[in-house]
Amino acid sequence: MPAGRRRGRYTGVVSSTTPLFGPPRGLRVDLSSGASREEELPAEVRLAVLGGRGLGAWLALRERLHEVEPLGPENLLILAPGPLTGTGAPASGRYSVTSRSPLTGTVFDGNSGGSWGVFFRRLGYDYLVVGGACDAPSYLLVSPGGVEVRPASDLWGLDVAPSLARLRELHPGCEAGVIGPAGERGVLFASIVNNRGRSIGRGGLGAVMGAKRLKAIVVAAGGDQKPAVADPERLAFVVYEAEKLLKANPITSQALPEFGTSVLVNVLNQAGAMPTRNFRDSRFEGARAISGEALRDGYVQRRSACRGCSIGCARRTTAGGESGEGPEYESIWALGADCGVADLTAVVQANYACNRAGMDTITMGSTIACAMELTEEGLLPGGPRFGDAAAVVRLAEATAAGEGLGAELAEGSARFAARHGRPELSMSVKSLELPAYDPRGMKAQGLAFATSNRGGCHLRANMLGPEILGVPKMVDRFATLGKAGLLINMQNLNAVLDSLSICKFTAFAMKEDYYARLLSAVWGEQVEPQELLRIGERIWTLERLFNLAAGLGRDDDTLPRRLLEEPVREGPAAGHVVDLPPMLDEYYVSRGWSAEGVPSAAKLARLGLDGRGALVDCSGAAS
Amino acid sequence: MSGDLLEQFRRIGRDLFVAGLVSSHGGNMSVRQGDRILITRRGSMLAQLEERDVIDTGLEENDANVTLASTEIVVHRAIYQATSALAIVHTHPPYAIAQSLVKDEIVPVDSEGSYLLHKVPVVAAQLTAGSTEVAGLLPKWLKEYDLVMLRGHGPFAIGHLLEEAYQLTSVLEMACRILTVAEGMGAELKEYRKGSEQYDSW
Repeated sequence: MPAGRRRGRYTGVVSSTTPLFGPPRGLRVDLSSGASREEELPAEVRLAVLGGRGLGAWLALRERLHEVEPLGPENLLILAPGPLTGTGAPASGRYSVTSRSPLTGTVFDGNSGGSWGVFFRRLGYDYLVVGGACDAPSYLLVSPGGVEVRPASDLWGLDVAPSLARLRELHPGCEAGVIGPAGERGVLFASIVNNRGRSIGRGGLGAVMGAKRLKAIVVAAGGDQKPAVADPERLAFVVYEAEKLLKANPITSQALPEFGTSVLVNVLNQAGAMPTRNFRDSRFEGARAISGEALRDGYVQRRSACRGCSIGCARRTTAGGESGEGPEYESIWALGADCGVADLTAVVQANYACNRAGMDTITMGSTIACAMELTEEGLLPGGPRFGDAAAVVRLAEATAAGEGLGAELAEGSARFAARHGRPELSMSVKSLELPAYDPRGMKAQGLAFATSNRGGCHLRANMLGPEILGVPKMVDRFATLGKAGLLINMQNLNAVLDSLSICKFTAFAMKEDYYARLLSAVWGEQVEPQELLRIGERIWTLERLFNLAAGLGRDDDTLPRRLLEEPVREGPAAGHVVDLPPMLDEYYVSRGWSAEGVPSAAKLARLGLDGRGALVDCSGAAS
Repeated sequence: MSGDLLEQFRRIGRDLFVAGLVSSHGGNMSVRQGDRILITRRGSMLAQLEERDVIDTGLEENDANVTLASTEIVVHRAIYQATSALAIVHTHPPYAIAQSLVKDEIVPVDSEGSYLLHKVPVVAAQLTAGSTEVAGLLPKWLKEYDLVMLRGHGPFAIGHLLEEAYQLTSVLEMACRILTVAEGMGAELKEYRKGSEQYDSW
């Protein structure tokens, strides 16, 4: 038994008296003036939203980002690791970036591995807020000595990798999040890329940086404030037990380490849930050629992992004389099957093009697929056609460069399809392109897409687990009703994981009680699973309130017309569409929202969002 | 109620009986759907469930259907209100009940039980069936553990799906059979698990 004392209801023994529940401590930088200052938030905020995504959502609503122009100087970038970041918890070297998305207009957070979050936490801060805009290209340097805005004219225009390399020369041992030419040019799906090739990929947060003329956010080496852990012995025990589960589960110990996420190509294709040619079909005849097995056999140099992760799903690959990161499953799908392309070399090269420029591969591929369908429909003379592998590579490069058709594609598929008179051919929700799961073959995934707070996204909740992989258990994937509770639980849990911050892949093996035990050991206070899920519900509700205040509502909780009206033509999902309205009704009732999707006053009160405590008063946000 | 959900009730109920985890009319199950609860009918046979045997009533507020609901509805409601559970399985497995009569917590020694349960608290109540006493006792334990044993009566297991709660129940009974046999051999058990001395603090 270690020396120490019992604390609260916590049944372990804390070995330090470090005040872990102090007010969240942040840095705020105004790029317009170059001024920076430290600040603190009410202590209750830490318990209410944890950190990471939750803290971002809370700040975004408090700062009324729903009222600002996403690419204007008033928009903020909120960067925040979580309470598990850097503690030794499995796969927890992560952080979130939150802003108002220029692509969707919603609150939008991206969560990334790498080491940026760990380095930032070592400076002793919980979050960084970046506002304003620079007069000239600049980068932000955060170090133990303070914050500096430095000129970046010599970096402006550089691709992602050389930008990172140059910054490492300037600041040895640093970690940086950078934008590439796509972010500089305002591509609405530009990403922020960290060392180790990990990205804040979706929603165009790289364009927000670009609009601020901010090339990079650099955290210098030298931070010496190791994140406090109240009960290291207990944490080691829980981590050991958690790693046992990760190593025993074939998804986290075999499939992901051996194939990466691309293992899903054949899995989804066999299930008839692989969207093909802009969701015209749900099985791709060329799937085997672009599968995880093909990638492993012909392209992978070595596997890699985010900091502190034993799963190691990332891949270093080579193709056409070039080497780089990925592609992930969603990238293979978007640049491959969704465009009708079975040439894996071209898919890998298109992925590299996106990585070089700093662009979201899902939106890029889906927007090209949209252009291909417009061409097939005779609405885009001379445009690309399904199956044209060279066109996919060429258009990815043209989009980054702002050339030709690429300049139009840079706005994403929703604006592009609307411009050409066929908005329904954008396979997006809230203007965010859907990822690689056809909800006609996984009905609850359709509800997950429709209700996602950041648009068509599989990371808010992915029903792949219960509907395809049997995690936690297999459910009838074609059943329409009865799965809202399961989905809500997953949405709430994922909000927690993004706020802790810990990789969602751990949830293939771990349940919420493990996350509660990890956090309990770090904080030295008893945190129950139900408390965590309540926090997740609070974060989800904050995001919902932001979107309602931004003018979104039930009408935006929908799917592309094709998925609602066009039955799958062949394969295991043949004949199916998504019958969304009854699913949405069940979901709203289960959430405790009105038929229009507005949280009730009683719900806000139960979540502490009615303004009576230190949390933001949201009671008027939805009205 | 969707056909898929009824099929889950029927499939799990049949397996619970076949596995010897309940007697002919024993045990009960429920699923939470938002502010509603679907629970087996009072006196129903889990091995032979029909649609009429799954009762739809309020989670917090009563309606007429409560007259048909399982005796244990008060406990199920209390659990749902206090935990993240979406499904509950309550059974009467003989080896687990026997272990609960001699222990304050059940710490499995087999590999499967260790991985999935670590330890199972045993809670004692004077009124063990459908009582507000149990409804007051169990939820606070189920906030931290997915399965809790009510002494002399049986376990309450929670999960997101009925199948999850069933699995925990089945694992508990198997672990208790192994414990009973192993302890009955009278020899000191050889430890093979790193960190198992901390399981009682799980």
